[in-house]
Amino acid sequence: MSSIFHMNLVLSILLFSIGILGVMWKRNAISLFMNVELMLNAANLAFVTFAYQYGLLEGGILVLFIMTVAAAEAGVGLAIFIALYRGKRHLRVDEHDLLRG
Amino acid sequence: MIVYYVLFIMTAGFALGVLLSKDTVRSAMCLVAVMTSLAVNYLLMRQEFVAFIQVIVYAGAIMVLFLFVIMLLNLRDRETTPWYLRNARFWGGTLALGFFFLLAWGIYKFSASDETAGMVQLEKKMAVSGEAMIDVIARMMMTEYIVPFVLTSVLLLVAVVGAICMARRKDEDGHEILIESEKN
Repeated sequence: MSSIFHMNLVLSILLFSIGILGVMWKRNAISLFMNVELMLNAANLAFVTFAYQYGLLEGGILVLFIMTVAAAEAGVGLAIFIALYRGKRHLRVDEHDLLRG
Repeated sequence: MIVYYVLFIMTAGFALGVLLSKDTVRSAMCLVAVMTSLAVNYLLMRQEFVAFIQVIVYAGAIMVLFLFVIMLLNLRDRETTPWYLRNARFWGGTLALGFFFLLAWGIYKFSASDETAGMVQLEKKMAVSGEAMIDVIARMMMTEYIVPFVLTSVLLLVAVVGAICMARRKDEDGHEILIESEKN
């Protein structure tokens, strides 16, 4: 925890672990999705930290692409949630079993 | 150095707020705070471009979309935990803790110091040649990484079309409706 590199990497895995906890613990689809965004942010932080340590600008470019994927995912995912909400009037993921085999 | 400690505590605290808050809107606001503190962190690591798109895309666009959907669907009911989720809590906690300590151990083994931080040296080199970081990023994006950059626009177009197809619905008269009223 002495250098910026170590501290930010620890922060990154801490955010990722909190994201895992949220995905395992929450029932509301929107809360679940927010924790996925938290995990994506943790990955971005790791990219930027490594880019800082090694003086590579590719880290920033990769972060841009990850953000694009996150934006597309948020758009489509929230549209799916609106469509799901129309049917059952709630978003508790354990009670939606439309695709259960 | 003290500013990094403050940022660390702030970001971790707001992330815990996302996890522990029972109210979805409060959770979303905590996530906005996490993203903004991360943007400050990126600025301190000399990645101005990433910091700006973090604020604009994440804290601006994506979180507004989240809040819009939360308020549109009125999802402010409290979270409850049924009996069958207790097991998931235990295993999720074990998984997350194990993941954290495994990676923390790996990072602890990895030695690095601030004196050798490459971005600082790169910045000094650029100050001599009179170039800004954003110039180099723009050139890289338009030459080496032009194919993924163009594919990005295709991805966004597909996402927009998909989102519209998924969320729209017509009533009996053929008019577009977003959410049917509460009467049925």
